[in-house]
Amino acid sequence: MTGSETATNDARADEELAVHLDGITKRFPGVVANDDVDLRVERGSVHALLGENGAGKTTLMNVLYGLYEPTEGRVLVDGTERSFDRPRDAIDAGVGMIHQHFMLVETMTVAENIALGNEPRKWGGLAVDRGRIDREVRDLCDRYGFDVDLSATVAELSVGARQRVEILKALYRGADVLIFDEPTAVLTPQEVEDLYGVFEELTERGKTIVFITHKLGEAMHAADGVTVLRDGRAVASVEPAETTREELAELMVGREVLLEADSDPVETGDPVLSAANVTVEDDRGVEAVSGIDLEVRAGEVFGIAGVDGNGQSELIEAITGLRTPDGGTVRFDGEDVTDWSRRRRIEGGMAHVPEDRHEQGLVMPFDLVENAVLGSQRSARFARSGRIDWADVRDHAEDVIGTYDVRPPDADAHAESLSGGNQQKFVVGRELERDPELAVATHPTRGVDIGSTEFIHERLLDLRREGKAVLVVSSNLDEVQALSDRLAVIYEGEFVAVTDPDDVTEEELGLLMAGERPDERTQPARAGSADAGGER
Amino acid sequence: MIELPSRPGRRTLLVGLGAITAVWIAAGLAFPDSWAGALLSIAASPSTHTAMLRLAVPIALAAIGGIFAEKSGVINIGIEGLLIVSAFSAILVTFWLGAGESTLALSHHWWGFAVGVLVSTLFALLFAIVCIEFKADQIIAGLAVWLIALGLAPFASRIVFQSPNTAGVGRFENVTIPVLSELPVVGYLLFDTPPQVYIMLGAAVVGWYLLNRTAFGRWVVASGENPKALDTAGVDVRRVRYAAVLLSGVFAGLGGAGFALGQLGTFAGSGETAIGGRGFIAIATYLFANYHPIGALLGSFLFAGLESVQIQLQNLGYAVPTELIRTVPYVTVIVVLVFVGKTRLPEAAGESYDADED
Amino acid sequence: MREDLERLLERLVHASVLERVAISFAALLAAILLGGVLVFVSGAFATCRSGLDLAGATFCYNPMQVYYELFLGALGHPLEGGWELHNYNLATTLRQTTLLIFAGLSVAVAFRAGLFNIGTQGQLVVGGLTTAVTVLFAASYLPSGFVGTVLLVPIGVLAGAVGGGFYGAIPGALKAYAGANEVITTIMLNFIAVGVTSTLLSWRFQDPASDNPQTRAVPEYAEIPNLPLVGFSPRMNFSLLALGFAIALIVGIAWLLARTAFGYELRTTGVQPAAAAYGGVDEKRMTVASMTLSGALGGIGGAFWVLMEHGRWLENVPDLGFDGIAVSILAGNNPLGVGFAAFLFGVLDSGSNSINTATDVPPELVGVLSGTIILFVAMPEFFRMIGRRYVDLEDSVPARSTGGEADD
Repeated sequence: MTGSETATNDARADEELAVHLDGITKRFPGVVANDDVDLRVERGSVHALLGENGAGKTTLMNVLYGLYEPTEGRVLVDGTERSFDRPRDAIDAGVGMIHQHFMLVETMTVAENIALGNEPRKWGGLAVDRGRIDREVRDLCDRYGFDVDLSATVAELSVGARQRVEILKALYRGADVLIFDEPTAVLTPQEVEDLYGVFEELTERGKTIVFITHKLGEAMHAADGVTVLRDGRAVASVEPAETTREELAELMVGREVLLEADSDPVETGDPVLSAANVTVEDDRGVEAVSGIDLEVRAGEVFGIAGVDGNGQSELIEAITGLRTPDGGTVRFDGEDVTDWSRRRRIEGGMAHVPEDRHEQGLVMPFDLVENAVLGSQRSARFARSGRIDWADVRDHAEDVIGTYDVRPPDADAHAESLSGGNQQKFVVGRELERDPELAVATHPTRGVDIGSTEFIHERLLDLRREGKAVLVVSSNLDEVQALSDRLAVIYEGEFVAVTDPDDVTEEELGLLMAGERPDERTQPARAGSADAGGER
Repeated sequence: MIELPSRPGRRTLLVGLGAITAVWIAAGLAFPDSWAGALLSIAASPSTHTAMLRLAVPIALAAIGGIFAEKSGVINIGIEGLLIVSAFSAILVTFWLGAGESTLALSHHWWGFAVGVLVSTLFALLFAIVCIEFKADQIIAGLAVWLIALGLAPFASRIVFQSPNTAGVGRFENVTIPVLSELPVVGYLLFDTPPQVYIMLGAAVVGWYLLNRTAFGRWVVASGENPKALDTAGVDVRRVRYAAVLLSGVFAGLGGAGFALGQLGTFAGSGETAIGGRGFIAIATYLFANYHPIGALLGSFLFAGLESVQIQLQNLGYAVPTELIRTVPYVTVIVVLVFVGKTRLPEAAGESYDADED
Repeated sequence: MREDLERLLERLVHASVLERVAISFAALLAAILLGGVLVFVSGAFATCRSGLDLAGATFCYNPMQVYYELFLGALGHPLEGGWELHNYNLATTLRQTTLLIFAGLSVAVAFRAGLFNIGTQGQLVVGGLTTAVTVLFAASYLPSGFVGTVLLVPIGVLAGAVGGGFYGAIPGALKAYAGANEVITTIMLNFIAVGVTSTLLSWRFQDPASDNPQTRAVPEYAEIPNLPLVGFSPRMNFSLLALGFAIALIVGIAWLLARTAFGYELRTTGVQPAAAAYGGVDEKRMTVASMTLSGALGGIGGAFWVLMEHGRWLENVPDLGFDGIAVSILAGNNPLGVGFAAFLFGVLDSGSNSINTATDVPPELVGVLSGTIILFVAMPEFFRMIGRRYVDLEDSVPARSTGGEADD
């Protein structure tokens, strides 16, 4: 470790610090993920690590948790310099991590998950002392006011409950410092409030919390201190009381933020897509969509907002032909397409930016030329009696690359070699340049830089101006609010409201996404059978 | 509650089998002279049951071993190869040392047995290194293990015995437990039987305990379902997988060596060898048993029972199309797979784990 | 300048085709090396009159001699005097090459669709019997002589394709509609194929004039004809026409995979089924279709085995299907590579005969070798590791970028 002689200037202050990262630099081949980052977190406080996707937040926390070794810099926990080669070392030093994708084994019970890797033994190590696990975890639950069923398997738990299991797991290992990676990403607003409550309980008992977020509001609301990361550097460390949202936003992005897409009213035409009483089951046979009605007209953008996992994926799959609905009808351009294959829908003029570009939207080991024809491989545009005209496809790929600023601008590059944002731009480009009647886009700008986000929004609005129908699904409220002419909020497989986005505030939308029924002001224009379903 | 999609299939199959059996027993009892009756008398005869237990040995033990490997995330399709090498080397070493004699108060059969298990474990180690260290495709590597064993056994046999088939070395003697062996029905079955049957029964219990009651067992499950969770909990995924694959080698070795020395007494290395696909049947068995070691033991009785009935039919001189009857266990495997085809594999089975991957 | 060079090197190292070829060669060398050690060591356990005495043991086998016989014996010992091109050993090599091309293509097509068809052996067995039975039946209604050849050979090949295709479609359908893992079902179907065909043989098709389990011989004019002048003697059971057909099939399959919509869909299904479904491919149908095609290719292999090698179907079918797996894997499942790999395995097959006659080393060595080749090809990481140790490329390996616009 370097520079230990320079670190004595404020030794007294250091004693107050639960975590002190000093000049951390982490290089990957070709990339500097963290560049000389300092982070100081006081004991018993909540500290937010704020930054855009890819700013280096997660890398920094992985350094603290021993998943990565820093290229340069020192890690101090409770004033003692530490060198973590693996998570075990960090755990032993009292650092616990609650990952964004929960590190839980779904088929095992809550108790088994909490004790995993730290099982108390009996009979000379020949058996796990399950009674002791239960006792110890119950104690923890009592102390922090958690209520979880220890014998339930994790697969049965809600997302919020799983997160509490993760927290218990860290506490069970004696963690004093808890790192949360984007803890609110998959929570409903109500669950988020509960989480803040948990933060308070924890800090009151002397625990220290560092949480990663890209949401300004959360940092302002829940943290005692905020460190802003941009492009791998720590650009500021502030206290929420001494700053404003605008200031933080500018620090985070590096310039003034404009997220208002221009959407003048356009004359809407006939319905292009309509779904009536659509019911869809997910892979496990659980009803994910319960009797949804929706209608998207020519010349309008219809937005669907919701917390991930509330049935929007299944609904979109049923519309685009990737999943057979278990009830109801889907009509497209006036025809009943419920039984149409995916190919027939593509040929009928349905474009689709899928939720998962890695699995669906792109064939990772193929180059961009081959990816440019995905979905059109049998269309008259590229295929003559079953034979693909690759020269034609190449021209098309190069068009998309040029128009959507895909980098590197190389049609022979393999999809997997592109960064996430460029992959997304290519998929969006390929789909929107299909000249579709209907474009269905899920998280169209996920992982995309701000410049390209504006461009993609512009193209979606172009389609609308050309009199096409656009259906946008996003969990990003700014995005759906800015783009949509009408906006539906989905919760547990039902539309809880369909409204004009200008008529609702972000807070109201948040409540709707959490399943609160609308009051008179946001009375649904066309609510999906609100009385059906309910309790599942 | 989440109902595993495989459940209905498995239940339907069991109910179906039960119904067929019931009809057959009823028909057999009603018309003792009929075909069904003859079959019933064979199925009810003690010699069929004894044969069944012995024939179950390689299948059950290979299946229990396979459970550990696959639960940890490494699909060991080379288990057939492990059976072959352990069976062959057990016979070879016993032959070299001299069958019927003993060294250090231990009969040479047991020395051969030990070496058989060791060789199988070494092959499993090789497979583990290839899959875990060098991230080989598990299916291809497993297939390679099988093909290598398929060539190696007759190759070595030709060098030593000048023929793909080894010389005979005799078999294990029955171990009779006093008093208990006098018990009706279970006595002759479970307490007057060659040692490999005791090993099989013991291994099923040990396997179940290891998987479900020890910390190691939990780590194996976690390693196959969500290796990252295990890693972040501070347990080395690679070590767990190594241990699990080596265990599969040990169990398969017990099965192969026990089968060779307790049942065959010699090893035929030509064609598909004397193992004849039992390793693959074992895979179908543990899928059918949904990775439950005791269930795998019971499942192996199904295949071994079919085989033993077929052998009895032949022995009794019934004019049956032998070749066709011999395919019955293989057809059964396919039927089983069709019914339990959607057995949920461990989430991370077949994938190599890379701790640095983000 | 240096940067350009590094970039070029990087591209080369990552050019998947080049790498595959390099890895296949390295795997081959490694397997040969390991096989040599095995031969040498096992020589200590054999009994012989003269051998290499070392450390108190007598090593009977000389790996160099074994490999000399294996590789040059397969060509008829071209370095020794009196060699002529049209020798029996070379004919055997080329005959095996031809048959292995069919078997290798069969495995490769399934592989590219993401399916592991271990059942080529069974499809070949079934296809072969179908061919023999069909030709025997059709010959009694068709004229003999040249017209008979022109009609019966295509009929026989087609019958093999249909029989093999049908037998390949079974595991395809079981996988698509019942989720039964094709690896296990195809292995089981291999065993079943042996049982069913031999039952059929003894039930109806056994040659009454022979004690061997085999069918009657097809008429001579129904066998694959030899080319006059340049061809091998009919006694050698190898026809250049057959090899020509096999090579044409290689080109055809390569074209199908690379240029047609069906090939594109098949490859997409193979690497990323979810993307194929997104792109409008019906995965179930593709599974059945690709397995049927794969089985048909295996069946064609069976047809040529019958019509070129024996003129009849025999119960004891050689392990061409399993060698086909090795061929395909060594070829990186690339149809063009299958041609070269098939020739190599043709050499191994034919060379094993030379080993058997010229040395005391058991010919099963070839089985061990092919298994070892598969094992090595399966672990490219092993060779990359060695490669990295000697060619320092550490810095030029691009990590999936973590910075910039990384994923959420």
